[in-house]
Amino acid sequence: MHQSRKIVPALLTAMLVASCGGANVTVNDPSIPKPLIVPLPLNVAAKYPDVFDHFVHEEKVMGKKKWSIDLGRSNRLLFTQLFDSMFTEFNVVATDEYPKDLMFDALIEPSIDAFEFSVPSQSQTDEFAVWIRYRIKIFDNEGVQIANWPIAAYGKSLAGSVGGDHALQRAAILAMRDAAALIILQMDKATGISKLSEAHVNRDMPSSETEDIPLQTTAAEETPDESS
Amino acid sequence: MKAANNQTTRRLLMLALSGALMSGCVTSRIENIRENTTGITEGEGIVIMAKSYHLGNETEAKFISCVGNSVGRGSKGLHVIPNTEFVDALFPWFEPRTAPAEAKGLPTLMSRPGVAQKIKDKGVRYVVWLDGETEKVAGGGSMSCAAGPGGGGCFGFAWWQNDSNYEASVWDLDGLENAGTVSADVSGTSYLPAIVVPIPLLARTQNKACNALADQLRLFIISDEQV
Repeated sequence: MHQSRKIVPALLTAMLVASCGGANVTVNDPSIPKPLIVPLPLNVAAKYPDVFDHFVHEEKVMGKKKWSIDLGRSNRLLFTQLFDSMFTEFNVVATDEYPKDLMFDALIEPSIDAFEFSVPSQSQTDEFAVWIRYRIKIFDNEGVQIANWPIAAYGKSLAGSVGGDHALQRAAILAMRDAAALIILQMDKATGISKLSEAHVNRDMPSSETEDIPLQTTAAEETPDESS
Repeated sequence: MKAANNQTTRRLLMLALSGALMSGCVTSRIENIRENTTGITEGEGIVIMAKSYHLGNETEAKFISCVGNSVGRGSKGLHVIPNTEFVDALFPWFEPRTAPAEAKGLPTLMSRPGVAQKIKDKGVRYVVWLDGETEKVAGGGSMSCAAGPGGGGCFGFAWWQNDSNYEASVWDLDGLENAGTVSADVSGTSYLPAIVVPIPLLARTQNKACNALADQLRLFIISDEQV
């Protein structure tokens, strides 16, 4: 009887602390499905920043506990899976490899500009939301930057019955999946990457047959069309 | 023998009475608007999806699974393909950002490489897009609870009104057109009187909307009614 009097307040305190939120969430593998697309006939290399191997974002919600989300290597896995499906040939190169030493049509350097999330206590809803702002830089095989494309991805998950940790994890995965969908849908339109293949073909032709192919250099800061 | 029968009848009456008391009042309105003829054959199925949250939709995941389960239940149940399986198989064309917002986007979608074949392989004839949510629209009353070493209890009265308003748009992937919409508007008031022990009298509007919408949706799809 005496013991149960101690257990009940302890349980109530634990429940109170838990309801204040705060947790460490880990996303190991966003695991996007194989896209139903025809790959672009390009030999592409990708160079990832070090942060793609271990990305951790922490946020202290006012008056609540600290939330931490660890994306680990999931960005590297996401972009590798994605580019592998989008191009006929794809390789990941080390950060210290110099582009001119490599044979490719295009070199892609994705990075994370910003990562944000909101929890129900902030939004006054039952939702966890994650925003990720990626930046994709594309270089031709001469090392000339042809595009600098920022993309904003969004994922939302209801806390509901799945619990806060799982909902935040789900929102992060949905945001990464949203980024993948946006890249598939708009990358060529926004960056003109497919023209690099034509440039490659023309470069191999005799000089008299070569025409100047206008490569996109300013599509760069175009805001993605989110209505599509 | 007669006394035993009377006792059983009394117990059943009490059970029915408490069942009626334990649920709040609910009013519902179910409607459908048909734009094209429907029908479904052996081997064809449907997918139930939430409209994109990029378009501001807030439909609860549990409502979508409830409608899916209800439509597929029973001898006249339809074959419901799990939406995650369908969305993954057609990635990235049914993502919140990329899914067509209107049925007139279907021809473009179907012309994308591999999409029509994948939909055929999955046996999906109709995509049902759910939109709407359950909201608390009013509430009032007050209740206070206290607990001490000798026990605890509550005293007071609280009430709240929920409105569950959902709409299902049915897209025919065979005819590449909007077949029509089915809507359910259910509102109900829940009460919570408490004299020592709180007794919840809940109006389960979302549950009622789910079952009503699912029944109507099943009839709408299998019907050969002309426009």
